[in-house]
Amino acid sequence: MTHGYRAVSWMPFKKRYDFWVVGGILTYIVSFVIATIATQPDGESLTELQILIRATGTLAFLMLSFVLVIGPLARITPRFRPLLFNRRHLGVATFVIALVHAALVILWYHGFGTLNPFVSLFASNPNYDALAGFPFESLGVLALTIMFLMAATSHDFWNANLGPGLWKALHMGVYLAFALVVAHIALGALQFEKHVAYTVLLIVAVLAVVGLQFAGVLASRRPVDAAADGWLSVGEGAEIDDGTAVIVRPAEGEAIAVFRHGEEIYAVSNVCRHQAGPLGEGRIVDGCITCPWHGFQYRMADGTSPPPYTEKIATYATRIVEGRVEVSAMPNAPGTPQAPSRLRSAP
Amino acid sequence: MSKKDFFIGWAEMPDADRRFFLKAGAGLLIGAAGVAGFVAASQRPVGRGTWDLATFKAFTGIVTASPYPMLRTRDIDGQVRTALLVCQTKCGVDLRLQNMAGKAVVINGSLIQRVDHASIAVADGPEWIREADAPVDPALAFPTPEPLGEITLAGEILDSKCWFGAMRPGEGKVHKACASLCIRSGIPPAFFARDARDNAALLVMTENGGRFGESLLAHVADPVEVTGAVSRAGNVLLLDVSADSVRRV
Repeated sequence: MTHGYRAVSWMPFKKRYDFWVVGGILTYIVSFVIATIATQPDGESLTELQILIRATGTLAFLMLSFVLVIGPLARITPRFRPLLFNRRHLGVATFVIALVHAALVILWYHGFGTLNPFVSLFASNPNYDALAGFPFESLGVLALTIMFLMAATSHDFWNANLGPGLWKALHMGVYLAFALVVAHIALGALQFEKHVAYTVLLIVAVLAVVGLQFAGVLASRRPVDAAADGWLSVGEGAEIDDGTAVIVRPAEGEAIAVFRHGEEIYAVSNVCRHQAGPLGEGRIVDGCITCPWHGFQYRMADGTSPPPYTEKIATYATRIVEGRVEVSAMPNAPGTPQAPSRLRSAP
Repeated sequence: MSKKDFFIGWAEMPDADRRFFLKAGAGLLIGAAGVAGFVAASQRPVGRGTWDLATFKAFTGIVTASPYPMLRTRDIDGQVRTALLVCQTKCGVDLRLQNMAGKAVVINGSLIQRVDHASIAVADGPEWIREADAPVDPALAFPTPEPLGEITLAGEILDSKCWFGAMRPGEGKVHKACASLCIRSGIPPAFFARDARDNAALLVMTENGGRFGESLLAHVADPVEVTGAVSRAGNVLLLDVSADSVRRV
């Protein structure tokens, strides 16, 4: 959170996560090189550097596709939340692999000539007015630039200083990067490699990303709850499991997470200040509302992160009417103390 | 509610998530190997070109500068062969040939070869060429090109050095920028033609009997059709065309 920054706040889970990521990367590249050499006719295999160009290019695309489906998968089932927790490391690793791909291409295809390699990158193919002949390299450069901006601002320092809204908007650029990469492949490698497997893989990846995004949106979509005299009905208090929340959505403003803690009812904004995670899908842990995405915590009584952290979210008034919980549609200012309602009077 | 049944990255991992995470990790490794193997095995063969970068040897023969620097020699496979001369990087050797054209010479370089097509990547520095100490076989003199007629061909314009074996693959869209850079830098362009019966031929391209300039660059690596005059000079086929006759198909 925001009290201080380190390059990486290492913890055991992140180390285990990165171990698997690095293992997956090495497994893919080694398998690709071995399979290329083993399956090509004797003496007709690709040069070693061109094998690496293809290995890193295909790997970067697959990793980017995987990064994009983790979010919706975590919305559909909590089982994928561990993959979401350290997703930024996977994103940075994707950028690094894409950067290696680009560096090898610039060295091998654009280096050693009479033109500056970076001029050659944009000028060697002048067919910008043709579709099939389009210089697909430029699309890859644009995608890499977006991925660089995202990797460079992936740290919580930028999240806090740019603000969650601007940071989130910037990182939505990943979808533009993905579209550019798909076009980069379709107008580049697929113009040479005609095996149907490549076209099928590209289509499957695009359908998986687009389809799971829609499924994730549908899974987390909630109808607007009607308010009467400024109060929204949450439901029977007894039906809210202890330590969990029910999410209600007013006609305007952010969704509201209504938590039960023993006999007490608290309501806060459903939107985590870190990366807009759904707090209502979290739990009360150690007396704090805990975000399911990255474990950010807020005190129930005032929506403020426990010291030394300083994040604040809006709180809401609640009341009990004949055993039913109701929450005010009007938020208090972030960090405002709000007394809880009680399902039963204290003995 | 405790941390024991709710995943938080900074807390101890719940048993159910731990089991899933281990299975996902193992699945990731198996999946990575499987997908990599499948994608790699689906690549098309890229041809038999070779370039033994580490082996430099002396090639004795007669050198010419027109239309491109070439050497006629027996030192490739014992037969009289014509090898295109290029640099170690992406450049031609026109300017380095100076007054050697037409002379019997010894050239130091590494061989780039694809079946019957050969190129010599000459050594860097001034020692790459010297006049031969003794007279050479008169059969190594360059023959006058024998006209074979006007023809229209479909195929691809590529740079001879990469296609001969400097790169694999050295053709197609992904190699377009490299081929363009090579031709711009002085590597002889060539036309790879394939007819309806899948007979293939490689022809070194010229314009008005001389070397091609940058007029060809826009069409490199595209599927094109060209009309021009074919001639044979020893084991080399030449295709003389105007850049205006190149048409994308």
